[in-house]
Amino acid sequence: MTNTPDDMIVAKNVDKYFGELHALKDVSATVKRGEVVVIVGPSGSGKSTFLRTLNQLEEIDSGSLMIDGTDMYARDTNINKLREHVGMVFQSFNLFPHKTALENVKLAPLKVSGRAEAEVHESAKELMYKVGLAERMDNYPSQLSGGQQQRVAIARALAMKPSIMLFDEPTSALDPEMVGEVLDVMKGLANEGMTMVVVTHEMGFAREVADRVLFMEEGALLVDKKPDAFFDNPDHPRLKQFLSKVL
Amino acid sequence: MHSKQRAWFWNAVFFAVIIGIGCSVYLAGKRIDYTWRWDRVTPFIINTDPISISAERNGTVEINADQSQITLIPDSGEESFVITEFTETLVSDGDLVFEGDTLAELHGWRIGPIVEGLIVTIEISLYSLLIALALGLLIGLMRISANPAARKLAIVYIEVIRGTPLLVQIFIMYFFIGTVLELERFTSGVVALSVFTAAYVAEIIRAGIQSIPDGQMEAARSLGMSYPKAMIYVILPQAFKRTLPPLAGQFINLIKDSSLVSVISITDLTKAGREVVSGSFAPFEVWFTVALLYLLLTGILSWSIQRLEKRLSASD
Repeated sequence: MTNTPDDMIVAKNVDKYFGELHALKDVSATVKRGEVVVIVGPSGSGKSTFLRTLNQLEEIDSGSLMIDGTDMYARDTNINKLREHVGMVFQSFNLFPHKTALENVKLAPLKVSGRAEAEVHESAKELMYKVGLAERMDNYPSQLSGGQQQRVAIARALAMKPSIMLFDEPTSALDPEMVGEVLDVMKGLANEGMTMVVVTHEMGFAREVADRVLFMEEGALLVDKKPDAFFDNPDHPRLKQFLSKVL
Repeated sequence: MHSKQRAWFWNAVFFAVIIGIGCSVYLAGKRIDYTWRWDRVTPFIINTDPISISAERNGTVEINADQSQITLIPDSGEESFVITEFTETLVSDGDLVFEGDTLAELHGWRIGPIVEGLIVTIEISLYSLLIALALGLLIGLMRISANPAARKLAIVYIEVIRGTPLLVQIFIMYFFIGTVLELERFTSGVVALSVFTAAYVAEIIRAGIQSIPDGQMEAARSLGMSYPKAMIYVILPQAFKRTLPPLAGQFINLIKDSSLVSVISITDLTKAGREVVSGSFAPFEVWFTVALLYLLLTGILSWSIQRLEKRLSASD
């Protein structure tokens, strides 16, 4: 297994413990540039934990992680610099409640990248337009619906011009009628060629958008297949059991 | 309609109780053998007594044509004394005067010792508030730091300061630390109050920061912000808003606690009150006045913090 320049994420033999709990068991996976990889599995299977190791919100205990050619745990790696290239969208949105939607999008480009106010303002407005919220820019998060908040959160992550986007159950906290609007924005991103890793329970999205689907259970990565093979010919017994429950 | 009537009734009860208490205090004041002389207190608040300007030497007075300047030419041949600030002349042009004679009077009003004390109290409270806020923020951040040295130092600081009386701390600050570092009274007082209040502010700020969901820090860090930047732009502004009500309470305590610095002879409002009591023989009036002035200060502070809270609640 050699790394090619097109490997955006290379995880090798990743182990992670929470005290006694073995949360990630020898997980290895590769995500190529422009690929959309969806991770599914029962709750507590470690899929969110694995996603969170990809921008070091969780530190791993052993193994290695290469992000866009940079070894995350190398001595000279600046984790803050690395995170600028890895956008993340959370289940509970985590918008900054004291700032308006537009200010949420502008904050990191201004304070982290130090880009000029005028330029950041314009590109933030464009992003709000892109996620369909041009009219709600000056609203505070508390004045937006869940679906709108999640779209602002996506715009906020995109404002740093990331090369990888991580989605941690982005639609799980939403009312059913709002799931579609968020998934549409994500599909748009996928079509533009964004490299994406998505933890979700939306099997329809996985089948339609994913290039590969990963199945995790009890901290182990059990299946890594193209969506057709994953959903239509599940050969792993645990996956069969899981799909029979969710489909 | 019914609930409105009930509200009226209970409002009436409220005013009846307040008026009742007011009357009892008034009657109690009448019953005791005490002559209330509020007029004795006013000169200590605003002094309207004229200041007399007296001759510094024996000599001759010259007053210029438009009465705007009095010149005293000493007999000794020294340089003349020129007086321009006065309201009323008590001598005429060419008068011979002796040293100590009153030449003129200056009318107007000056602040009395109680107001001077009030100003000192405001100064002490304001300096202490700013220092306590900065120091409390630092200690609060150390308290939640991952670094064991910083965290344990903060815990020790908070426990020691909260576990000893402020009065004792003021004495130690003035007599021991003040002597070692050659601090002035005023500085010792401000430092003691700041150090004391900072311990409480630190705990308030710690609780405020910990009340912000972890997701906020994670979102900030995932955007590439360093820990300090995430604190400054994301966590602290939210925590500050939540801690305003308890901080207001703490700063009201600070104003009241500042009365204790009078024990190291800082002439604050309380010390001024004590001095005026011995000068005016009107202890009841003076202490009521002093209490009212403290109430005015704490009232203004709590009102302005409520205003600030309202302004910050725009995003709720």
